[in-house]
Amino acid sequence: MSELLIELFSEEIPSNLQINARKQLENLLKQNLSSSNLEPKTLEIFSTPTRLAIFITGLPKIIKIPSTEIKGPKVGVSEDVINNYAKSKNLNISDLLEKKTEKGNFYFAKIKGREINTENELAKLIPLTLKDISWKKSMKWSDFELNWGRPLISILAIFNEKLLKFKFAHLETVNFTMLETEDQIKQIKVKSFYDYTNLLRKNEIILDHNERSEYILKKIISICKKKSCKETINQSLLTEVTNLVDKPNIITATFDKSYLELPKEIIRSTLQTHQKYFTLVDLKDRMLNEFIIVANNKDEKKLIKTGNERVVEARLSDANFFWNRDKSYNLIKQINKLKKIVFYENLGTVYDKTQRLRKMAYFISDQLNINKEKLEIASSVSKSDLASDLVSEFPELQGEMGKYFALNQGFEQDVSNAISEHYLPIGNSSIIPKKPISYSLSILDKLDNLVGFYLINEKPTSSKDPFALRRSAIGLLRTIIENNLVIKISDLIDYFIRIYLDQGVKEKNTQSKKELINFLRERMKNILKEKRIRTDIIEASISSHNNDNFLELYKKTLIMNKFISKELGKNAVSTYKRASNILEQERSISKDGPDAVLFKEEEEKELFERINIIRKAFTVKEDRKNYEEHLKLLSDTKLSTDKFFEKVKVNDDNNDIKNNRLELLQILCSTFNTFVDFSKLEGS
Amino acid sequence: MPKKIKNKKNFFTFQDVVFNLQKYWSKYGCVILQPYDLEVGAGTFHPATTLRSLGPKPWKAAYVQPSRRPTDGRYGKNPNRLQHYYQFQVIIKPSPKNIKQIYLKSLSSIGIIAKDHDIRFVEDDWESPTLGAAGLGWEVWCDGMEITQFTYFQKMTGIECKPISVELTYGLERICMFVQQKKNIFDIDWNSEGVKYKDVYFQSEKEFSAYNFDHANTDFLLKNFEMAESECKSLLEKKLSLPAYDQCLKASHIFNLLDSRGVISVAERTGYINRIRELAKGSGSIWLDNQIEK
Repeated sequence: MSELLIELFSEEIPSNLQINARKQLENLLKQNLSSSNLEPKTLEIFSTPTRLAIFITGLPKIIKIPSTEIKGPKVGVSEDVINNYAKSKNLNISDLLEKKTEKGNFYFAKIKGREINTENELAKLIPLTLKDISWKKSMKWSDFELNWGRPLISILAIFNEKLLKFKFAHLETVNFTMLETEDQIKQIKVKSFYDYTNLLRKNEIILDHNERSEYILKKIISICKKKSCKETINQSLLTEVTNLVDKPNIITATFDKSYLELPKEIIRSTLQTHQKYFTLVDLKDRMLNEFIIVANNKDEKKLIKTGNERVVEARLSDANFFWNRDKSYNLIKQINKLKKIVFYENLGTVYDKTQRLRKMAYFISDQLNINKEKLEIASSVSKSDLASDLVSEFPELQGEMGKYFALNQGFEQDVSNAISEHYLPIGNSSIIPKKPISYSLSILDKLDNLVGFYLINEKPTSSKDPFALRRSAIGLLRTIIENNLVIKISDLIDYFIRIYLDQGVKEKNTQSKKELINFLRERMKNILKEKRIRTDIIEASISSHNNDNFLELYKKTLIMNKFISKELGKNAVSTYKRASNILEQERSISKDGPDAVLFKEEEEKELFERINIIRKAFTVKEDRKNYEEHLKLLSDTKLSTDKFFEKVKVNDDNNDIKNNRLELLQILCSTFNTFVDFSKLEGS
Repeated sequence: MPKKIKNKKNFFTFQDVVFNLQKYWSKYGCVILQPYDLEVGAGTFHPATTLRSLGPKPWKAAYVQPSRRPTDGRYGKNPNRLQHYYQFQVIIKPSPKNIKQIYLKSLSSIGIIAKDHDIRFVEDDWESPTLGAAGLGWEVWCDGMEITQFTYFQKMTGIECKPISVELTYGLERICMFVQQKKNIFDIDWNSEGVKYKDVYFQSEKEFSAYNFDHANTDFLLKNFEMAESECKSLLEKKLSLPAYDQCLKASHIFNLLDSRGVISVAERTGYINRIRELAKGSGSIWLDNQIEK
């Protein structure tokens, strides 16, 4: 079977760039091959830090392009146009055909079927494809013009055991690959993919990143088994490590047991984030003083193992030094040091932020009925750990360290937890804070970000969101709905704005509150879409949502979604549609509501009474609202409405009576719409 | 009396490492320079790197550069941190095709044999807001320890580099700790006569930490900053790029000192950095103009 092998040999390309380049190459190649009438049997992309390889099989030697007729200008247009058209197809006017179509007579160019040599086509297509890769970060080197992830050294290109010649930037393809040994680099001829992978394998290089990942994983799992450890592997670390080595060698190493007294997070950060080792925990979740190195070389003299152990020792002893010193720094006294840490240009310092949070703690604890003193303390010290050396060494441990410091200094458990948990949720699917002090502080912290950046008009655009405000907003909403909280966000925003302005922040956007509520509503849409709720239901809920109660919005949407195709939902929708259809035909209806005196029929009175009952039910206190009940009330109007339409003729001869009936239907519809905007709902 | 180190094979003292790197890069064809005679934060600030990486002329140089980072001082109490340390700097323009192999060979001259170790190139993109500079590259890890910064400059003093230079920055103390298997910087053997790093620099670390954090006269420094800045600007008007750049370096070091004295508020910080960058940009573009005139 025919095969095409391309290898782009470069200096070490970072993991995320490799992943991105693999994906792009695969998609671009598929597209470009297909537009050249080439359908490969298999197409695979592999990578190591220094190699990006394309392997394609099943391409024909010759591409057969069938004859076609291409429609040109209309018969009767000027000679020039016809001439140009013929020229563009490399034909004479006399070669053009006249053909009848539905739209009249047109000239057609008959393009003969052709055969193209695949090799020639590939020599054109491959360099164009390579050019189309868009690197997230790219660079130039030496005196070349090419932009690539890292310096590209050579391109091996073999089609059916022969060199496939083409040029790409300053490089010409070659029939050899590069092999780095110690401090030498050798060129080795390659004839086929089999040849190529064999050569690499002989040198212990695993080309296929998936195979490499499985190999590493298997080794780690077997170590875990042997040591009776949990077999949970940090997936993103595995991916990164896989893309950092091409001849993985898995080594187990140890550090001094005394460091196990450090908080687990510090050890994990040191080993995993900074050194890219795998940590081990036993079945009871206790950390071992052993770790796994994925090296990129054999360790015949055991120098790699001891070298890495020395590095860990130095790093842990550094961390230990900071830990012992930082944990005794009084968190309250540390607050002053936050004056030196900028929150954001034009938004003051982190100190200013903690002052806002503390003041806001007062308001939100009233709204949510939680312990005011505790929330104030938690707000005040929530960022103190940012002033510690530990957090400047391990920024990823912000919050976690604060919690440990607080516990160490005798702060209460829930206050201490809030210091780490107020950063939650970290991703869109991560857990949210569940304890009152934690979720209140989390809501304040996120709202503070949102208000601040809106106030100085640093709003996210469709493509850019440098301050992760979308994530903040979604985190905020999730915290509210998943904890079942009724919060007057609008008031909180007002308070925040006032405090910001009191602190001397210059307001650059006078619409920030309105825009922010809309922004939150839009994010709510995303949350609901993620839950696979019908889009018309989402639209209906959002459209009728005119306050700042996002829990209500959420609950109503879920109820609608649950019942939309059941009796309850169907009845409500059909009742609404029946009434609104009649209103649609009328021009202007007074919004004053019907006059009970003008009711002539029993059915009119009954319907009006029902509506009044519903309206009353809708205005009960928030915490007693039951949205399923509400929907049921709406649904139950079907009976009265049906009777109304059966017995009552809306189009009464007396205009006053007619108008009164229209107003009755109008108030019926608007009552429905205060639940959700029924006009946005589809069908039934 | 300090104990002499018996001639151990494959044992490299601090000064051996310097000598061997100098010899190696000299053989490769680099101009071996001496440290720049002003306080700088890193080898990159030496005009032999900053300014020479601009423009079309080829350039190869290597030198040791004592570097000062006032905020990193720990009064000599931390085994891994110093406010004054050494970098060995190599700059080559245009970057040669086989620079990776050339670099790996340099390691074997200081006792790090690639085949016995795990040498890794880990992504590390570099940016210097004060120099208006950016580059892409790696930190080179040897058995998990960072020993070199390997950077392809893309921009310097706000000017796109063409051709591209490659910069290698060896952390000399770290490398020595690695090859001598020391846990504490101060235990590094400086020479084979028993002199340790501690004998040379411990007192200096203690005194300078006190100066940097507690005693530097900030009024004086603030005035100095203004003076260096205005001198730089006036020299730029006179098209004297190198003297101007010296003033830029002075301003930069004064800024670092003020920073470690904690007198620069966060709001002012960016302002200072921008001011220094303007000086660097001016120096760079005039240096380049003067190059072309010749």
